[in-house]
Amino acid sequence: MAIAIAVIIVRDFTVNKKGKNIENPYAYDISEYTKVDPSEILYSEIKTIPLNISTPKGITIWKDTLILVAEDFLIQLNKNGEQLGKTILSSSPTCVTTSLNGDIWVGFRNKVSVFDKDGKSIQNWTSFGDRSVITSLAVSNDFVYVADAGNRVIYKCSKDGKIISRIGEKNDDKAVPGYVIPSPYFDVALSEEGYLWAVNPGRHSFENYTADGAMRSSWTKSSVKTEGFSGCCNPSHMAIMNDNSFVTSEKGIFRMKIYDQHGEYMGVVAAPDQFDEDGLPAEVAVDENGLIYALDFNRKQIRIFQLKENG
Amino acid sequence: MSNKEKNKSNRREFIQKGMRLSLGLSIAGVAGISALRVNADDYVWQLDPFKCVSCGRCADHCVVSPSAVKCVHAYALCGYCDLCGGYLKPNANELSTAAENQLCPTAAIKRKFVEEPYFEYEIIEDLCFGCAKCVAGCTAFGNGSLHLQVRHNLCVNCNECSIARVCPADAFERVPASQPYLIKGDFTAGDDHA
Repeated sequence: MAIAIAVIIVRDFTVNKKGKNIENPYAYDISEYTKVDPSEILYSEIKTIPLNISTPKGITIWKDTLILVAEDFLIQLNKNGEQLGKTILSSSPTCVTTSLNGDIWVGFRNKVSVFDKDGKSIQNWTSFGDRSVITSLAVSNDFVYVADAGNRVIYKCSKDGKIISRIGEKNDDKAVPGYVIPSPYFDVALSEEGYLWAVNPGRHSFENYTADGAMRSSWTKSSVKTEGFSGCCNPSHMAIMNDNSFVTSEKGIFRMKIYDQHGEYMGVVAAPDQFDEDGLPAEVAVDENGLIYALDFNRKQIRIFQLKENG
Repeated sequence: MSNKEKNKSNRREFIQKGMRLSLGLSIAGVAGISALRVNADDYVWQLDPFKCVSCGRCADHCVVSPSAVKCVHAYALCGYCDLCGGYLKPNANELSTAAENQLCPTAAIKRKFVEEPYFEYEIIEDLCFGCAKCVAGCTAFGNGSLHLQVRHNLCVNCNECSIARVCPADAFERVPASQPYLIKGDFTAGDDHA
């Protein structure tokens, strides 16, 4: 009897010990939607650059230089991951982009700073206000587009930081639906022709604007299946290739995909099983050679993807 | 006074002092223990929503039935999404309140239209049993505004919380009773991504 009781106690202690063998009858199971037909995976990972950074925040590429912002600094790396330069920033950055001449534009929570390609400070803009949450920047020859998730608007600014107009605010007369941005994922980018594209993550849409802020076109892909976007805030990040195709990165079901210039699904860049289950969706950037760079916040790596030969 | 009498007097004083010291120490000890107990009673169990992994154990391991752990909603953080990952099943047929579209096994979340395209989500606490299914959906696809908290109007503040014992994320901790909740905040108040 005593032995039986001892066995039961020991068994209970080992089986029910913290973290062991307790099934979750209420599990939120999305594994079915993470499966990808291998034939849909068009890219392969060719290189990984580990980062000695605790909190990477954003990435962009200018010619052969990878430019990252992290905790409170800006660093430039060559494509082998060797550090070329480092600049200490005044506060924590949120995003980074470059202009054609190589100037580096860094977004902070509610302001923008500009550095030359060597990291020397050029200008600091004044704050956009307490409610601003700047998540993305795009720089054309004449203007700077600042995506503000906090105010759900894109500011079209002059290069010295003056707001010229506000783009994308709800306007029924102009059939502009307005941005739905539940969480701070709100990317903008310029196409090869210089048109502004913005993600409307709450609507699973991409919206295209003229420099005057009039909507030219949009496309939407809403579905829990691989070819669509699901959840409240997807895609989380995007970049535009030289051929005007769109590379996207998603949260919830972590994956990267590519869509043609009309928004038609082309295939998968990286499938969910290539990412950690939890964490943040990868930031994406592209280079002139068609390589796709994923800034994996969870693994703290830059992961480089190349189109497969038969892709 | 002879030496003999002086020694006698010293011995008496020594014993008196010893008695006083013992009494003083005893009173101080009792007071100290009481103070410690009062201090311990000023703490309650709470779970850190940033550590929670939505394992479902809060629903089944609480000594109170249904569980004293409930979903709470940080309205300041919520995106008021039409397509709410915490309310709708991932493969919902449509964005509606139809039972087959709802993720919550007890329909404990009420969806209310605010204005196009925004909806408000309210937890019906009597129906919620802390399974965290909505928390997992909201955290994965949304911004994590739905999260679990120990409700102190229901919690009996066990000495050893039976959920804390099986929590795989060590999310349970003792917090001051004066600040018993760990509610998530507005994402605009911080600079980190949700």
